[in-house]
Amino acid sequence: MKKFLAVILAATMTLGLVACSAPSEETKAQTEAVQTEADTEAETETAEAAEEAAEAVSDTVKQLYADFDSAMEDQIGKMPEDFGEIKVGAVVISLTNPFWVNMKDCYEAAGEKLGVPIDVQTGTTEGDTASQLDVLMTMADMDYDVIIVSPIDGTNLIPGIIKCNENGVKVINLGPGVDTEALKEAGGYLDATITVDFAEQGQTVAEDMMERLPDGGQVAVLAGLAGAGQSEGRTKGFTDTINSDDKYQLVAVQNCDWDASLAYDATKALITEYPELKGIFCCNDVMALAAVEALGAEGVEGVLIYGVDFTDDAKAAITEGTMTGSMSYSSARYTEAALQMAVMLNEGESFESNVYLPLTLVNVDNVNSLEGWK
Amino acid sequence: MNYLRREISAPALLLCFCLAVSVFLSIETVSFYSWKNVVNILEANSYRMILAVGMMCVIASGAIDLSVGSIMSFSAVCMAKALKAELPVELCILIGILTGTLMGAVNGSLIYLTRINALIITLASSYMYRGLSLIVTQGIPITKLPESFRAIGCGDIFGMESGVTAAFVITALMVPLFFFMKWGSYVSSLGGNAEALKRCGVKTWFYRISVFAMMGALASVSGIIVTARLNSAEANAGLNMEMDAICAVIMGGTALHGGKGNLFGTVIAVFLMGLIRNGLTIMSVSSYYQQFITGAMLLMAVVIAEFRERKARIG
Repeated sequence: MKKFLAVILAATMTLGLVACSAPSEETKAQTEAVQTEADTEAETETAEAAEEAAEAVSDTVKQLYADFDSAMEDQIGKMPEDFGEIKVGAVVISLTNPFWVNMKDCYEAAGEKLGVPIDVQTGTTEGDTASQLDVLMTMADMDYDVIIVSPIDGTNLIPGIIKCNENGVKVINLGPGVDTEALKEAGGYLDATITVDFAEQGQTVAEDMMERLPDGGQVAVLAGLAGAGQSEGRTKGFTDTINSDDKYQLVAVQNCDWDASLAYDATKALITEYPELKGIFCCNDVMALAAVEALGAEGVEGVLIYGVDFTDDAKAAITEGTMTGSMSYSSARYTEAALQMAVMLNEGESFESNVYLPLTLVNVDNVNSLEGWK
Repeated sequence: MNYLRREISAPALLLCFCLAVSVFLSIETVSFYSWKNVVNILEANSYRMILAVGMMCVIASGAIDLSVGSIMSFSAVCMAKALKAELPVELCILIGILTGTLMGAVNGSLIYLTRINALIITLASSYMYRGLSLIVTQGIPITKLPESFRAIGCGDIFGMESGVTAAFVITALMVPLFFFMKWGSYVSSLGGNAEALKRCGVKTWFYRISVFAMMGALASVSGIIVTARLNSAEANAGLNMEMDAICAVIMGGTALHGGKGNLFGTVIAVFLMGLIRNGLTIMSVSSYYQQFITGAMLLMAVVIAEFRERKARIG
């Protein structure tokens, strides 16, 4: 019996240790999160300083921002001078993908700038639709006034959105679209939508490509994942524009699933089959850069390559001249606009139609005048 | 006395863990301590619980199943295809469950016939089943399923999604099946000493195949719940779910070498992991920390269990 008591005592002690260590771990996590926030702030500040410096030299960028602001003001109106207390949540797709990590930073910077507290959350891993929904379901019962959602696919967040509707939490859809038809069927609604017109991205690229190929020729598309809204939209915008002129022949649309090595192999196959190929539109920069590599390896020159996203690598390639152009928009302004809409919704305003973000094509002609664009 | 100590200690430890986390979250946050949030936690963990309960039987039988995530996905895809073909909803659900059971039975038969380690067989089959899902769907999610299906898969029972009731019913049924019936003791004995069991004249093939078939059936049930919640059957559903389930089973005090299962510990471990996920969301802590904390807890749980067992062996 004594032995048994000793075991019990030991167990209690271990338990005490363990029990204490669990919360402290979380507190630590919290302090660290605060620290990261502080770091982000510092970074944003330096970035802002850099932006100011760049704006001083680059009139093009100044002009772009001015155009952007007036286009956004036409669509959503002016930011209210003062507004009531508000707490905003954002559910993004993943924090293991650089694009969304950057969006998180932009959200937090925008929140700081507008004086709106914002929490950015996500599921555990990219593509985990169920855990993203769990996060939104939990947030719907918390004290958020507005939640901005970017769903992994068209339907996975629908039960969460309906719960927000029931709890009186306003929902804004940013970026990848919620399937509004399915949402309506399930009895829910979105309070506002801000997104990028994917077809316009494809169309703008097609127009620039046609301008650079006045004699016509064969062109091809490297698309992303079949069924993904961004990929389908961009491809449709591009092919519709290209097909409107008989001088141009669309020889192939290949799905490369956003994957560099698939795009590399596809480009090699394309150029072997169509040695006269004049241009390739890739639905993101990762695939575009792979296409550049593949053409380099084959020793082919003079094929125009376009991408989407304007990543740092794409910027370097465009400056070098190996890539022709990339579609871009300002993530900083994107998140700012979304937060402004959140504030306006909370003040009782409403948005009847979708808000589209103004887009910019960065190409070999204007890339050097775009220092400071982000 | 010894028996009690061994059986109760792992769940008791986890339960105290749960309490500590709950008390901490109730003090630190406003939203945690509410009925709504309890419902959230139950709903978010119902399908994980179903998987973990099945996985406990598989691990107790001395095997492991890495293909449950893929079975979830493929059986859900088959069911969604049937739903799209406008077959009666009940029949579609049956198709889903039968597909899962069949895939599980294939796993079990291969393991029994080839005598190759279950880890290898189910690793191979997990790729094959996931591949089948991708081939059938071509990577495009099957969405907009009929409302009558969703009413069954995630409709309201006792003020929460039906998945929660399903999870508790399955767990409750597992108690007699695993602890008081022949099936449970033979399955455990498979993990303890399969050779001895065979020499006693027991048809070991039946128990090996049936435990995997049951795992397959449970995986398909949890696939149905996930599909109904998301209103979409997709090839990527259930990714890494097998690891969550294995983690909960081991944390709950079932040893990887089998021979004995700890159902109560498994259930508590599922909820502990769910509590932590929920707590991190409520406290707005980045999801980066979640994986680290889960791993650290698993490590702590197995180390404590190992030392306890060693001590029990020595005296």
